[in-house]
Amino acid sequence: MSDTLSISFELNGTTVTTDVSPSDNLRDVLRREGMFSVKFGSASGETGAGAVLFDGRLASSDVILAAQADGHSVVTVESLNTERELHPIQAAFAAVGAMQSGYSAGAMILGTLALLAENPDPTEAEIRDMLSGILDRETAYVKPVEAVKRAAAVLRGETAAPFAPMILEPLTDGGEAAVYDPADRAPAGSSAVPRLIPSRDVPDMAVVGKPEVKVDAVRLAKGNPAFTDDIEPRGMLYCRLLTSPHAHARIVDIDDRAALALPGVHAVLHHKNVARIKYASGGQSWPNPHPHDQVSFDTKVRHVGDRVAAVAAETVEIAEEAVRLIDVTYEVLPAIFDEREAMEPDAPKIHDEDDTEEIFDAERNIVHQIKAQRGDVEDALAHAAHVFEQTFRVHQVQQCPIEPHISIAWIDEDERMVIRTATQVPFHARRMVAPLLEMDIKDVRIIKPRIGGGFGAKQEMLLEDIVGHLAKATRRPCRLELTREEEFASSRTRHPQTITYRTGVDDDGKLVAQDMYVIGNTGPYGTHGYTVQTVTGMRGLSQYDCPNKRFHCDVVYTNIPVPGAYRGYGAPQAEFALEAHLEDIARELGYDVIEFKRKNWVSTGSEIDIAPHLGERAVVEDELDEYPRIMSEGIEECVAQALREIGWHRRDDPAWREPADRPHIRRGIGFAFCMHGTAIPFLDMGGCSIKLNDDGSFNMLVGATDLGTGADTVLGQIAAEVLGVRLEDIKVYSSDTDMTPFDTGAYASSTTYISGTAAMQAAEVARKRIKERAAMLLDVDEPCTIELRDRRAYAADGRSVSLEDIALDSLHTQEQEQIMGTSSYVSPDCPPPFAAQMAEIEVDVETGQVTVTKLVMAVDCGVAINPITASGQVEGGMAQALGYAHCEEFAFDDDGRLLNTSFGPYKIYRADEMPDTVVYLVQTLEDSGPFGAKAVAEIPKDGVAPALRNAILNATGVAINDLPFTPERVWAALNDA
Amino acid sequence: MPLIAAYHRPTSLDVAMDLLQAPNRIVLAGGTVVNADRAPSDLEVVDLQSLGLDTIEHDGDRVRIGAMATLAAGGDADAVPAWMRTIARAEAPSTLRSLATIGGTVAAGSGESLLLAALLVADARVELAGAEQRGLAELLATGVPEGAVITAVTIDPGGTAAEAHTARTPADAPIVAAVARTSNGTTALALTGVADTPVLVDPLDPSAGLTPPADFRGTAEYRLELARILGARAVEAIR
Repeated sequence: MSDTLSISFELNGTTVTTDVSPSDNLRDVLRREGMFSVKFGSASGETGAGAVLFDGRLASSDVILAAQADGHSVVTVESLNTERELHPIQAAFAAVGAMQSGYSAGAMILGTLALLAENPDPTEAEIRDMLSGILDRETAYVKPVEAVKRAAAVLRGETAAPFAPMILEPLTDGGEAAVYDPADRAPAGSSAVPRLIPSRDVPDMAVVGKPEVKVDAVRLAKGNPAFTDDIEPRGMLYCRLLTSPHAHARIVDIDDRAALALPGVHAVLHHKNVARIKYASGGQSWPNPHPHDQVSFDTKVRHVGDRVAAVAAETVEIAEEAVRLIDVTYEVLPAIFDEREAMEPDAPKIHDEDDTEEIFDAERNIVHQIKAQRGDVEDALAHAAHVFEQTFRVHQVQQCPIEPHISIAWIDEDERMVIRTATQVPFHARRMVAPLLEMDIKDVRIIKPRIGGGFGAKQEMLLEDIVGHLAKATRRPCRLELTREEEFASSRTRHPQTITYRTGVDDDGKLVAQDMYVIGNTGPYGTHGYTVQTVTGMRGLSQYDCPNKRFHCDVVYTNIPVPGAYRGYGAPQAEFALEAHLEDIARELGYDVIEFKRKNWVSTGSEIDIAPHLGERAVVEDELDEYPRIMSEGIEECVAQALREIGWHRRDDPAWREPADRPHIRRGIGFAFCMHGTAIPFLDMGGCSIKLNDDGSFNMLVGATDLGTGADTVLGQIAAEVLGVRLEDIKVYSSDTDMTPFDTGAYASSTTYISGTAAMQAAEVARKRIKERAAMLLDVDEPCTIELRDRRAYAADGRSVSLEDIALDSLHTQEQEQIMGTSSYVSPDCPPPFAAQMAEIEVDVETGQVTVTKLVMAVDCGVAINPITASGQVEGGMAQALGYAHCEEFAFDDDGRLLNTSFGPYKIYRADEMPDTVVYLVQTLEDSGPFGAKAVAEIPKDGVAPALRNAILNATGVAINDLPFTPERVWAALNDA
Repeated sequence: MPLIAAYHRPTSLDVAMDLLQAPNRIVLAGGTVVNADRAPSDLEVVDLQSLGLDTIEHDGDRVRIGAMATLAAGGDADAVPAWMRTIARAEAPSTLRSLATIGGTVAAGSGESLLLAALLVADARVELAGAEQRGLAELLATGVPEGAVITAVTIDPGGTAAEAHTARTPADAPIVAAVARTSNGTTALALTGVADTPVLVDPLDPSAGLTPPADFRGTAEYRLELARILGARAVEAIR
């Protein structure tokens, strides 16, 4: 062991002297000193989540040895927390919605502090340069840039106007297409400001629809300890994983003696000492779809990065050393990676165990075969005037939450298992982990604190069983956090697919048949393999009216890192293929692409006719009384606004497309039409309870899981609107399986719609009782005549009583009772949001380099409960979708080892390279949703890839059917053309 | 087992050189490379931060950049020509360029480093303690001599320069980049992404003699084509 060093440095103005080891990094030392704003994103510092001001300069503390800091000055965001109020920079980040999960907020605020100290009036380029080292997977940097501008203005003494949407007049009458006028320019304004086109059907409300500041803004802006890793139970052990170096191998033997002999090691778990209990790790409703093809530790590994063993030790370093001392003997087996080859007769059989049930055809690695149909596709194709067939290939990418997966488990004073974990599905995780730990569900408690992004990766029971097993084995708190490399190789990813469309079109340009065949690659385990591909079918065959449709899918096992849930959940794959396919058909038939798609896209009253036949609640046609229909849509308004914003006419202007001063550049504009879902009907359920406090405020408990999406804020706004109070009077708590009602979790674009309706109904229950108590106090006979507003209950004659007085009376004075409301909601409907996506690009036709210059998305999400958080969802979703389309990809060697397990080689967009990003919120009133809301979280993932692809086609005449559009792929396509 | 076994911070170059005589000791510059490697080792690091090697100043008709000057400092220094300041800032994002140093960049010798290509065309010479100074091209080809420490890099700040590159995204490390500079009628051209380190090439025939390494971002064939196109563009831009 090395000697410790004594170091002294100035921390937020105070000298700190502490002992460190030579290899301690500054981030860990700062967190030991209670600076919880300094986060882990990666050991190599490229996420910037751990950035501090080091001698006044923004610097990643991950790559600064603590010893290097001796004699230096370090500033963290805690230095600003001298008052209860926020510092102007923190306040600016809160005001404009710059923090979603807020995981990296401390770094951004510190960077702003340093930048403005040096330059009180920075340019946008200088702001973006400052942010270039802080990777953000959530905001597309749009609102953080706005926050810096706002903070600068405030610190210069200028008055900052409230941050609110730009209200625009509609361009359509709500139904008919608008006539595109090239001379009509979109209104100018900051791209951070959402453009809102109100609906005449939607009444003005007090809290709903308003740009309220997020309820968690203060804790995030201050860097308060809010995330999983921001506690440290006494006696906590640190855990590490041993993962497979082979893509496919049998574990012949494991010898853990040397690891167990290492001082400080408390447990080494693997298949020899952990019960073999089958499960499927996807966080889904009971019963989890089969096959249950996983166990906590198996006798076989099926991808590089697969679990082999886990260690708990006194320190991370000891745990890592113990992992290296575990001696594993492998019998290496042949592996298969491409879904197109997995079904071949000579392909290796990936699941040859005898205890996994309901694999469709294990010999051919086919996990599921999914079929759904309406009409007679073959007959329609045989008689169609035109038939088109195309195949598309979409690739594997990772969600890349800046906070990696992390779980901490301990056995509490009642001998129950408590797991504090970064999860999107606390209730599913509890139900799924209990049997693995051989415990009853009632003896397991899952606590979901703030989460630093999930995007579906955390819709999984991934680490909870491991820390649970280790806590049981050691009877000590156990913490396991994935490294960035493990987050890439050992967590979850997006499913690669090969998608083939055959489409029949009549002489009028109407679709008569659509046949979609998908080979979905679910990697070595089923997890979300069934449901993701069913969503691919739904999204690939729903947004255009067509009398004959067929979906056929083979979901296959391979030896790639495990695909799972990723925001969009099968839709981005389908929409890429569909919108590219229809673009090409339009060109082939000589139609304007908008005109052709408009002939066929759905409208109010259209049947949603394939979705009922797909998914966990699939039914056959005979079981349906009628197909669900589209009841609200703002498609034409979305398209009209998007066309104007992008300047659609330029795509046909040779002077714009071929700039004379840049001979190797071609410009293009692409369009994609998008339709998504809102929750899973008859399945997704959310619960809420609300109780009145002495001062007229409310505690609201929800099982819904705010990942940074603003769900807590939106649900609070819904309740506040019902109860006639301010958002700040609703104290939202989510989620804890011991304390909050059940909720299926944060996925399937369900929270606002499902949990929001539960919140609305719970508030209505409480409101009813408040009105009755108010009627008693005001001596009014008809409680229904009472109105709640401005934190008071008003009688029809104008007399009123405050909610505080009602609360004090009901809690303390007469006929005492706790006024509270509880409700839960499951929906029979799945009202789709719609969007028009535009992309403007430049292609270097000599090198193949594509530069994206602008993205526009106009979204019909019903009533945006909070237009700022809603637009933030669209901005962030588009940025992720841009990475999917343009630069993100897993690269492997021939043995299935991932080659790019760090940011940089795995490229996600930085602040200083993002294209201009503009969001339109087209309001419609969806009667089935709370205050008219539909979903918004996932649809931004759907349109960027096809819009980009179609823009490249517009620019160059070359159609590319594989993702991503990296330079060499485009160059090769240009050369082949 | 620690990731590093011991930390030393000498206050004179002589002491630093003495410390570095031990075979298990390595130089710690900014730390963005050494400290990012969390694999265990028995290495000891010798931190050069207290040796005063971070100045950037004119030195006759050349500019002398101390080995411990950060990329951020290089990006801000008036003595450094504007075109190179831009490249220095682009070498690393904000949170790492405040730590990464010129000396560390030279020692790492990354074949993707646009800054090294810029230094090559600026006639960079590397000053060493424990060895004779030498041209950057020679040092990149042979590595830092055993027992020697980079103390500074000097450049010719004159002339006109331009760069051209191809990357997945605007701020991504280029797959191939070309930096050209002309001074006193002489043109120099350097490429990244075509060899293990950035290399000087013939401005009239940029791809001649190259055998680029391939990776998932670019095959050897593609990189050769980029070398030809981007080299020609960079040279054309300074004509």
